[in-house]
Amino acid sequence: MLVTSENPAPNRSRIVISALPWVVTVSRLVLAGVLIVAGWGKIGTPVLSVQAVEAYELLPKSLATVVGYGLPILEIVVGVLLVVGLLTRAAGVISALLMLAFVIGIASAWARGLRIDCGCFGGGGQLAAGVEPDYLIDILRDFGLFGLGVLVAWFPPGRFALDSALGLTPGREPYDDLEGDDEEEHQEKETN
Amino acid sequence: MGKAARDQSARDRIKAQRQEQMLKERRKRVATIATASVLAVAAVGAGWWFAAQSSRSEEVGAALAPITVASDGSVVMAKAGVDAPVLEVFEDFQCPACRALEETSGPTIKNLAAEGKAKVIYHPITIFHEQTNKGVTRGNSVRAGAASRCIPGGVAWSRFHDKLFDEQPSENVEGFKIPDLIDWGKDAGVTDPGFDKCVTSQEKAAEHLAYSTKVLETQKLTGTPTLKLNGAEVDTGVAFKPAELRKAVLDAAK
Repeated sequence: MLVTSENPAPNRSRIVISALPWVVTVSRLVLAGVLIVAGWGKIGTPVLSVQAVEAYELLPKSLATVVGYGLPILEIVVGVLLVVGLLTRAAGVISALLMLAFVIGIASAWARGLRIDCGCFGGGGQLAAGVEPDYLIDILRDFGLFGLGVLVAWFPPGRFALDSALGLTPGREPYDDLEGDDEEEHQEKETN
Repeated sequence: MGKAARDQSARDRIKAQRQEQMLKERRKRVATIATASVLAVAAVGAGWWFAAQSSRSEEVGAALAPITVASDGSVVMAKAGVDAPVLEVFEDFQCPACRALEETSGPTIKNLAAEGKAKVIYHPITIFHEQTNKGVTRGNSVRAGAASRCIPGGVAWSRFHDKLFDEQPSENVEGFKIPDLIDWGKDAGVTDPGFDKCVTSQEKAAEHLAYSTKVLETQKLTGTPTLKLNGAEVDTGVAFKPAELRKAVLDAAK
């Protein structure tokens, strides 16, 4: 049997590599939790969801209606995909794009001096008197979530993912391989 | 066959097997991904469709129930002799969510009154404070509310009410300007020669504001729009869904 010279990675990067899947899993769960809560808060009253979108004064009415009806269910479905780790990369990309859109929307509302509730978790529209908008907090939160989305999209699917269980992640499949189970590699070297 | 050739053919066989295996796995992967994607998209589509369906408005019937503005400024819309159930509508002409409610469930509210299924009472009020947008929002709301009080009732009142929501300005800009209000009143069918003066002088503004304060205090409103059915607040998940609102009102009549 041919023995390749084992060149063990330095300790630190090895820890990073073995921790990464867990980090991805935690990111997935955090992102999913926020998405599902946000979607759930809006899905009961589609008309108010449309209203919240219109309050940004960014989209024409017909488009705001489509987004208002569709966003809550989209958030929930993407959230569920992230929880179970199915189509993880796509779910990560979509959530990152959603968060980016939210950041832009809120920042633009802020810049134009609108006084609205972001409507992120339901509600939305004009704020009551005496209530100041928390644009900065909303933006920072969504920007952080954007980061998590990028992470998930970049290093899918993390631990506990249906993608792995269903064998949907060839090439970057079992993270265990990174830790030295080189059986297959040897074979390939032999045959080539 | 020499050893080398045998080895070669064995290698080829293994290679072919591996390739077939990989192809099979790839097909399976593609099928699984496609299935999952279709399911996810279908779920989003179904949710969207359901949201759109549940928000669908009724058509307003031919004739409205008689409308009268009471002395305190509340507006009763009911067929003669219909006293229950009472459906109260607390709304502000400048509030976007009220506009959304009117667009969605407004026709149902009118129809229920016209069918004699409910006694509807509108409470046009002003909820915006002086501090909001330097008073612009409140100003809009008060001008509209005061102008609506210049119409004693009838179909004209309802048309004017609908027109105000249609023309609702952004909260940041001055809207509901006096000349517009007068024009819309005439379009709605107001013939009273005193209407112009009533709107221009804003003579009803003070009583409109007093009534707003009183309603906000006594009704313990958390905001507008609020629907109350026999005094109990209607959940927004019902109020903004015409079919569910109709059902709730009909159930209350039993």
